[in-house]
Amino acid sequence: MAILVNQSSRVIIQGATGKQGQYHTAKMLEYHVQVVGGVTPGKGGTEVQGVPVFDTVSQAKTAGMIDASMIVVPPAGVLAAAFDAIENEISLVVIITEFVPFHDTLKIRALALKKGIRLVGPNTIGVISPGKSKVGIMPGFIYSEGHVGIISRSGTLTHEIASNLTYKGIGQSTCVCIGGDRVKGMDFVDCLKLFREDPETEKIILIGEIGGAGEEQAASYIREHGYPKKIIAFIAGSTAPPDKKMGHAGAIIARGFGTAASKIRQLESSGVIVVRSLDALLEEAR
Amino acid sequence: MKLYEFEGKTLFQKAGIPVPRGTVVATVEEARKAASTIGYPVVVKAQLLRGRRGKAGLIRFAEDEETLSGETSALLSMEAEGEKIDKILVEEKIPKARELYAGITFDPERLLPLLMISTEGGVDIEDIAHDRPERFFTKTLSPLRMPSLARIVDLVLRTGFRGEELLQVANVILKLVQAYFRFEAITVEVNPLMITETQGVFAADAKFEIDDSGLGRIQEAETFIRLEKLVDPLEMEAKREDIAYVRMPEGNIGLISGGAGLGMATMDMISVHGGSPANFLDLGGNATEEKTAAALRIVLKTPGVEGILMNAFGGINNCERMAKGIVRALDGLRPQQAIVVKMRGHSQEGGWALLESRQIPVVKFGTTEEAVILLMEKMKEKGEGLRGHTG
Repeated sequence: MAILVNQSSRVIIQGATGKQGQYHTAKMLEYHVQVVGGVTPGKGGTEVQGVPVFDTVSQAKTAGMIDASMIVVPPAGVLAAAFDAIENEISLVVIITEFVPFHDTLKIRALALKKGIRLVGPNTIGVISPGKSKVGIMPGFIYSEGHVGIISRSGTLTHEIASNLTYKGIGQSTCVCIGGDRVKGMDFVDCLKLFREDPETEKIILIGEIGGAGEEQAASYIREHGYPKKIIAFIAGSTAPPDKKMGHAGAIIARGFGTAASKIRQLESSGVIVVRSLDALLEEAR
Repeated sequence: MKLYEFEGKTLFQKAGIPVPRGTVVATVEEARKAASTIGYPVVVKAQLLRGRRGKAGLIRFAEDEETLSGETSALLSMEAEGEKIDKILVEEKIPKARELYAGITFDPERLLPLLMISTEGGVDIEDIAHDRPERFFTKTLSPLRMPSLARIVDLVLRTGFRGEELLQVANVILKLVQAYFRFEAITVEVNPLMITETQGVFAADAKFEIDDSGLGRIQEAETFIRLEKLVDPLEMEAKREDIAYVRMPEGNIGLISGGAGLGMATMDMISVHGGSPANFLDLGGNATEEKTAAALRIVLKTPGVEGILMNAFGGINNCERMAKGIVRALDGLRPQQAIVVKMRGHSQEGGWALLESRQIPVVKFGTTEEAVILLMEKMKEKGEGLRGHTG
């Protein structure tokens, strides 16, 4: 089971012919991911690591079913690549690229919602169901198969928590890095809904950070609907200096949330176990 | 990037939003020249990125040349929040008018742009939104479709405007929405929008924050690239190397991290264990050998640092490449500071071997907290060793 990706997932890589693309195509093949194609406009008919390359996602579809696309094109190309994947109704689109223009992500997110496509990212390491498959750039060997689900905004914190769990003999069902940008696809609540129904996931680790409203929304979701599984949370940034704000518009919206204190308070009042240290996460996840 | 008022008004003009006639000046002489072209009375506005300039006395009025000279030279000798005032906008004074607040910002709950208008213009608009929501009207914008004029008219009708004024206001607000999308804005605000009896509608102020990742696509903003006014030479150095670095006063532990989330969490763990972070530093996703070396050099130079923790992963980055950077920065040095490196991921074996060959302690399978504890032990040893030498 697991969520979002598993052994049977057939994956394409948009941007496979680039430097990062070639490297991570190889790494995904090493992890036994079913990489069924690369997509780079103008490079159709070539190969990367033995994987056929197509000009468009629709061309790649002619070679067989596609369950997920990983996008590793440069920032300026992400809008076109993501629209190609979403218009072709690839059910999971993962945008790894960092520094995607804000307005491009707004459009991509809006189209994904309209078409019912699951979008992860941008600015993420992706999704991994350890031992089964991954649509991402994480080093697979620091993750291990098991029953803890991870949802995190930070890529390297996902590596940190997952590898610590692995070295303590605690495996993971699926780790979803939802990405560090202010506009993004799936958020904590979307992932909690999927983990709720996944029989393989017994406990969930939620790794938040200061800024944004995703953690507060997760807290209200848990409060309103209850949650059948143990959730452990850590919020990074308690000691970070407060960001300087300009103008009033941000303050109008941000009143009352976004700080570590607000996130911790709301999650705790929803029954989530919020730990103050990373090692305490391991104890709680045991 | 946050824009100065005069830069924002340049973009407004490109978008067809009327602004008062004005000129940016840097001296009293230039101000006199500008005012004589514009005609008195004029408004004299300090160009700063901070808000609430009115309350802070940074916006003044002049009826004649003598007052203008006095006010301009007074403003040019001032500083506000550590920023020296070096540019002044001299503008025609718009006759008394009805005022409106209009802004578009990003709603972090719905993750969509939100258009907001209110008849209660003025500085404390966020208090109005909170305390008198009945005077505050909003509309969520679709990133895929520009709203029609009719939908904007629907919104403006709620403020009480009617007839010709209603249409004038709605047209300007539609242009504001267009400007928000065209100029890659995260936030755009006009406070106030002035609706005059005879001269139409003017944006009397302009507040823009542009998305840094979209900045390169806006030709109109090419001239806005400004000299960084960073006071701290180490922060300047980091900026040049494209490294995110923030100094914390009075810290004793320097930090190099791969990823902002891991960096913040590491700072939290340093505090949990009784240390005090001296800086935040994120290598980002393109940690080359040279960039890693530059990062370590900056942290070595950070005052007060007694110990340095590097906490990174080979995910998008590569452990061996980062290890080479560390070794390069330490080449020929015998640093006073204790150094501990925690890294794992792609090419970890090569990275670890290189660091160990230079006697740099490496945390391979331990947690961040274990790395923090190890560093503190090493700092203690170093401290005792140093005291032994001098004593």
